Amino acid sequence: MRITSMLPDMQYAMQQSQQALATAEMQVATGRKVNQLSDDPTASASMVVSLTDSANVDQYTSNIGTLVPKMQTADSAISQIVTELNTAITLGTQGANGTNAAQRPAIASEVAGVLATVVSQANASYSGGYLFAGSATSTPPFVAASETYTSANGSAGSPLSSSTALTAGSITTIGDASTGDTFHFQASAGDTVGTLQTAIANAVAAGTLSAGTTASINASGQLSISTNSNTAGIAVTTNDAALGSMSATPNTQVANAYAYVGNSTINTAQIADQLSVATNVPGDSLFTTGSNVIGALSALITALQSNNPSITQIGNATNAISTALNSVNQQRVPLDNTISEMNSEESFLNQETVTLSTQQSSLVGADLATAATNLTQAQTQNQAVLAVAAKVLPQTLLNYLSQPSA
Amino acid sequence: MASLGSVLSIAVQSLQAADGGLQVTNNNIANANTPGYTRQQVVLHESAPSTTGDFTAGDGVTLVGYQSVRDELIQSQIQQETQAQSGANAQLTSMQQIQPTFETSSTDIGTEMSALFSSISSLGTDPTSNASRQAVLSAGQNLATAFNTASNTLTTQQSGLNSQVTDDVGKINQLTQQIAALNPQIVQQNATSDVQNGGALQDQQNQLILQLSALTNVNVTQTNNGITVTTGNGTALVVAGQSFSLSTSAGANGMTQVLDPNGANITSQITGGDLGGSIQTRDQTIGGSTGLLNQLDTLANEVGTAFNAAQAKGTDLNGNAGQNFFTIPATTSGSAANIKMAITDPNLLAASSDGTAGSDGNLANFSAIQTNTLPSGQTPSGTFSSIVYQIGSVTASANAESSATTASLTQLTDQQNSVSGVSTDEESANLITYQQAYEAAARVVSTVQALMTVTMSMVTS
Repeated sequence: MRITSMLPDMQYAMQQSQQALATAEMQVATGRKVNQLSDDPTASASMVVSLTDSANVDQYTSNIGTLVPKMQTADSAISQIVTELNTAITLGTQGANGTNAAQRPAIASEVAGVLATVVSQANASYSGGYLFAGSATSTPPFVAASETYTSANGSAGSPLSSSTALTAGSITTIGDASTGDTFHFQASAGDTVGTLQTAIANAVAAGTLSAGTTASINASGQLSISTNSNTAGIAVTTNDAALGSMSATPNTQVANAYAYVGNSTINTAQIADQLSVATNVPGDSLFTTGSNVIGALSALITALQSNNPSITQIGNATNAISTALNSVNQQRVPLDNTISEMNSEESFLNQETVTLSTQQSSLVGADLATAATNLTQAQTQNQAVLAVAAKVLPQTLLNYLSQPSA
Repeated sequence: MASLGSVLSIAVQSLQAADGGLQVTNNNIANANTPGYTRQQVVLHESAPSTTGDFTAGDGVTLVGYQSVRDELIQSQIQQETQAQSGANAQLTSMQQIQPTFETSSTDIGTEMSALFSSISSLGTDPTSNASRQAVLSAGQNLATAFNTASNTLTTQQSGLNSQVTDDVGKINQLTQQIAALNPQIVQQNATSDVQNGGALQDQQNQLILQLSALTNVNVTQTNNGITVTTGNGTALVVAGQSFSLSTSAGANGMTQVLDPNGANITSQITGGDLGGSIQTRDQTIGGSTGLLNQLDTLANEVGTAFNAAQAKGTDLNGNAGQNFFTIPATTSGSAANIKMAITDPNLLAASSDGTAGSDGNLANFSAIQTNTLPSGQTPSGTFSSIVYQIGSVTASANAESSATTASLTQLTDQQNSVSGVSTDEESANLITYQQAYEAAARVVSTVQALMTVTMSMVTS
């Protein structure tokens, strides 16, 4: 084969060795063997999925970090309440003792103090939201009960009526201190004040609200919701613009009575790919529905304060508190379980983070020792090619021919 | 019987032959670095011997002509390899410009989708937090922007490739004209010369054909009237002295189409060369029903639709059913370019499932979008991962082909140089040879001159 010039081959060889050198330098500088998608399409595609997993794990860890303190705050509030209830049981037992008759008023005051503390703990908040209100976290869930609540809207000149339309989607809540239940009403399109009144009547019939609770338009044209006794109390909230806010009629407050105006919604949050946990315990399932802690304490106070208390009455009220306490302890269990579940999930997630990091390194990371060796080799190779080119290219026959004689 | 006269005339022929050799050597050395130059050799034949009586004597050397040393097979292989290399390079250049937008960074689609789902999960721990709600909307906006950017990268490439198509067709037409113009000249030169291979004109034509091959796939056949050039599917571009032009027209969707001399649309039949590579990248890799743009649009449309559906299932903070989260066009096409947020007020995020402000029950429907398969068959991140794979693998293939064809061309060029290249060493040696031949012939002439002088003096004295 005739060789005419070695330049094209030399150029190609130099190009190749410089490309190899550039690649090796890039790998050492970035610490990655995959610096663009085409370096390894499969690894690049797998990285997309792995990074999504990492982002999820990071979020779950963050969620746990947010939720654990909140739920621990809730748990310690309940813990306080349990202590108070035990105190109340002791007080009730004292009061039921026939020989302590003179001390009953004093005991009643102490129990009232316990009730106030329990309500205060039940209204505990964390980071701007009430812990035991279900999803209605912007207002305190346990409100002092009154006999009558009236709407802000309505006047003699422009009264509300049963045909006044309600705002679709609005929620009206009536908590009943005696039954311990809460009535919820969400307005649909086309509902009127009359629809609400009917619903309230049905709730009374069903026993959710105390017998004798009515909703009517009063003389001033306002919607008035009231019980028919001064021992039964309610608390009402609404966000319906047609009614305006509901407020207790002055001087109708029932002593030592509190009603629940939150709801039963349980929110969940995700702490693992297939694992969501409840993030709250609604106040009604803890304190009122099923076994009415608040109501039992109120009843005990009433029994102790009455002019003619019967031992049986006081004893029953005390037992009711014991039963309620059992219920609180039971309702507390899922909360405690969730806290420990989150703690163990956290350790698992920490492990997952490491696993995913390792996976990502193996997909696109360069082993630095190998990369450094490759770089040295590429440098040596490049120098060799350049040295050969320098030696070989300048040689031609003309270097060796003598000049023609003149 | 040989006479001094015949000796002289043979010597003169020798001088001419040596002259010719020197001329060819000179030409070769001058053109040693000219691209496409084929070295020439002087063709010398022994003159027909003359017979005088009983004597038969040679009649010297005849300078027949200058012959180019070329190998047509290698030339044709180089043309084909050049076609393949240009095609691969056209695709590689485009894909390398597309790649960075899809690499993992803080703003690529995959990262922004993850961030959006993370913000939703975070909202679940505190559904009434305005800051958390705002974070969800911001994340949604970032995702929309990521889609817009990616779509823009692809359409910008297509637009650039459109210009490239028009440019290439213009260049092709210029080249075919020049090639056609050379055909009659070469035919005539070959007719009047005793040696074939066309010399400088053929070199020029070969260079033009090589440039043409870099642009598109052509078939070259040798005929009596010169070179015939046709497109890959048989349409004539050059026949004898005539060339036929390609033209372009704006296509239905703005994609420039290539028309043959008869007006038929041959866009999809052009393969190879820069034009073929550009068309393939524009119409099949980026565009088309399986192209990247369609996949991106489908992903944007399906994710947008899913988010809107999740919103509709819940209630916002104002107590109303959730409105659309994203605004997307009705058709898939253009979804990635036009997707944007439909809500900017954090209160409109429909987290609640029961109408109360603090409920987060509807967020599960949003989170499910991440893990459920979209109508096109994979989860959102799975779909994006497939797009990433496709881009990487097309680029890697183009890169591999570019390297392979470059290596192949280097080898073929070596082979061609081996046959047709000028070796300065060889020419230097030839220079000495012809110089000495000239000196020898000149010596004969001066000897004959001396003898003639002697003869003349014989007569005159």
